[in-house]
Amino acid sequence: MDGSVVGLIIFSTILLLLASGIWVAPALIIGGGIALAMFSSVPVGSLMASTIWDASWHWPLTALPLFIWMGEILFRSSLSSDMFRGLSPWLSRLPGGLLHVNILGCGMMAAITGSSAVTAATIGRMSMRELDQRGYDPSLSIGTLAGSGTLGLLIPPSIMMIIYGVLAQQSISRLFIAGVLPGMLIIALFMIYVGIRALLNPKIAPVETTRLSFAQKMRMTGPLLPVIGLIFVVIGSIYGGYATPTEAATIGVLGAFVLSAASGSLTWRSCFEGLMSAVTMSCMITFILAPAFFLSIALGFVGVPAAIAAYVESLSLSPYMLIAILTVMYIVLGCFLEGASMMVLTAAVVIPLVTAAGFDLIWFGIFLIITIEMSQITPPVGMNLFVLQGLTGKDLGTVTRASMPFFGLMVLAIAIITVFPQFVLAPVSFITSR
Amino acid sequence: MSETSTAPSALRRFLDGLYVASGVLSALCIVGVAATTLAQVVGRFAGVTIDSTESAGFFLAGSTFLGLAYTFRRGAQIRVSLLLDRIGPAKRRVLDIWSTGAFLMATAYLVYWTFDLVHFSWKYNEISSGIIAMPLWVPRSAMAMGTLLLMISVIDTFIVMLSARQDIHEE
Repeated sequence: MDGSVVGLIIFSTILLLLASGIWVAPALIIGGGIALAMFSSVPVGSLMASTIWDASWHWPLTALPLFIWMGEILFRSSLSSDMFRGLSPWLSRLPGGLLHVNILGCGMMAAITGSSAVTAATIGRMSMRELDQRGYDPSLSIGTLAGSGTLGLLIPPSIMMIIYGVLAQQSISRLFIAGVLPGMLIIALFMIYVGIRALLNPKIAPVETTRLSFAQKMRMTGPLLPVIGLIFVVIGSIYGGYATPTEAATIGVLGAFVLSAASGSLTWRSCFEGLMSAVTMSCMITFILAPAFFLSIALGFVGVPAAIAAYVESLSLSPYMLIAILTVMYIVLGCFLEGASMMVLTAAVVIPLVTAAGFDLIWFGIFLIITIEMSQITPPVGMNLFVLQGLTGKDLGTVTRASMPFFGLMVLAIAIITVFPQFVLAPVSFITSR
Repeated sequence: MSETSTAPSALRRFLDGLYVASGVLSALCIVGVAATTLAQVVGRFAGVTIDSTESAGFFLAGSTFLGLAYTFRRGAQIRVSLLLDRIGPAKRRVLDIWSTGAFLMATAYLVYWTFDLVHFSWKYNEISSGIIAMPLWVPRSAMAMGTLLLMISVIDTFIVMLSARQDIHEE
C-alpha cells in the first residue's frame, strides 16, 4: 500500500482516538503500534519499549525540567509586583501608557520562564487590576496580555524550543539564539499597534500624569535588577558558548533559589510546591515526547514520511505556498490541540517534508513556534485564553475577540520572517561563526 | 479525589500514598539531574572531568517514568477534553470508560514489553556506552517500576469509575 495512504489511515486513527478523549501518550503509542502491526513485520512490542527508553534519556532534554523548575521558583517569588512597579515608570508616557507594561513585562517574563501560561499569569496577576482601576480599555489590556503571553514560547529559554530541538535533532543553543530577534519583532509590532490605537483614540488609554525623576524611576526598578542579571547570566552563558543549555538551566535554578531567598519569599512550602509543580509539568511533556519518538520510528518503518514528501514534491509548490499551507494547517490543528501535542504529532512527517523542500530547520523551528503561539489564543482550545478567562472572569468570546488583533499581528510576523529569513538566521551565523 | 465512604479504607490510603511517593521519587530525580549537572560545572572549574551526560539522562528518564502515576492521578496528563466537556453526563461516562480502558490496555502492553526489555538487558548484561558503563537494567528498572505504578493508578481509576458512578478526573 502507498505510504501516504498508510499515513492518512494512521493520522485519522490518532485524531479519532484523541477526539474520543484518549490521552495523547497512549494515542501515539496505539497509532505507532497499528502502523507497525498492520503494515510491517517488525516485532512491535520490543521496538516500542526500546524506542521509548532511548527517547526518554535523550541528553538535550535534560534542560527541560530544570528550566521549568527555575520558572516555578521565580513564579512563587514577588516577581509579579516587582515587574509591574519596575517597568511602569519608564513606559507610562508612551502613547498607550501602561498597556506597554503588559507587552514588555511578558517579553521579560518570557526570558525567565519557558511557558506562555506562566508568562501571562505572572504579569496579569498584578497588571489586570491596576489597568482596570486606571480606566484602560479592557479589551486592549486583555489582548496585549493574551498576545504577549505567548512570547514565553519564543523568547529563550523556551520549553517548546527544547521539544522542537529534540524532535528535529537541532541544536537547542542555536534555537535559543534564533528566537530573540523574532521575539523582539513581535514585541515591536504589538507596541506599535497599541501606540497607533492610542493615538487614534486617546480614550482607550488614560494619560499618566505622574512625573518621576530618573533616580525615583531607578529606585522603583531596583528590585527587578537581580532578575535581569540572572537572565543575562543564564542566556549569556549559552550564547557565549560557555555552557550547554542544561548547565545554564542548573545555574538558573540555583540563582532563582538565591533571589527568592534574598527577597524573603522562599519557604519550605513554596520550595516543595515549586518542585512538585515542575514534576507535573515536566512529566506531562516528556511522557508525550517519548511515545512521539516511537510513532516517528514506526511511521519511518512503513515509509510514510518519504511517501508524503514525494507526494508534496510532485505538486511542485513554491516554498511560499508550502509555508502558507503549513501555516493554515497548524492554525486549524491549533484550534483543537495544545502546542506540544501538535508538534509531537506532526514532527515525524513535517520535518522530512520541509527538509526535502530545502528549508533550514532552525528557521522552520521558529516558524513552527510562532504558529504554536498563535494556537494559544485560538478558540475553542487556547491555553492563554483560559488563563485570561481565569484572571478577568470574562467569557471566552470576549477574551477571544480582544486577542484577535494580536493573532493578526503574529500572522504578519510570520510573513516577515518568511520573506526575510535573515531575521532568524543572521544572529545564529553571527554568533556561531566567531 | 472522590470518596464514597467517609473513612478512607486502608487500601485507599495505601494507593494514595503510593501515588504521592511516585511524585516525590520523580522530584528527587529532577534534583538528581540538577545535582549531577552541577557536579560537572564545578568539576570543570576545578579541572576535574566529570561527565554528567549519562547520569543526567538516566535521572531524567527516572523522573519521567516514576512521576507518571502521580501526574495521571492529578489529571495532569494531556488529553483533548473538547468533546468530553460538551456532552451530557451519561455519554461522558461512556467515553470516560472507553478512554480509560484504552489507556489501561496501552499501559499494560507497555509494562509487559518494558519488563521484557529490563529482563533482556539483565540477561545479556548490556552496558551503557559512556564512561560510567552502568548495566542498563538499572536505569531501565525505573521505567519498569514507573509504568507499573501508572498501570496500578489507571486500574484504580478505572475500577472507581465503574463502581462509584463518579468521575474522579475533575480538571
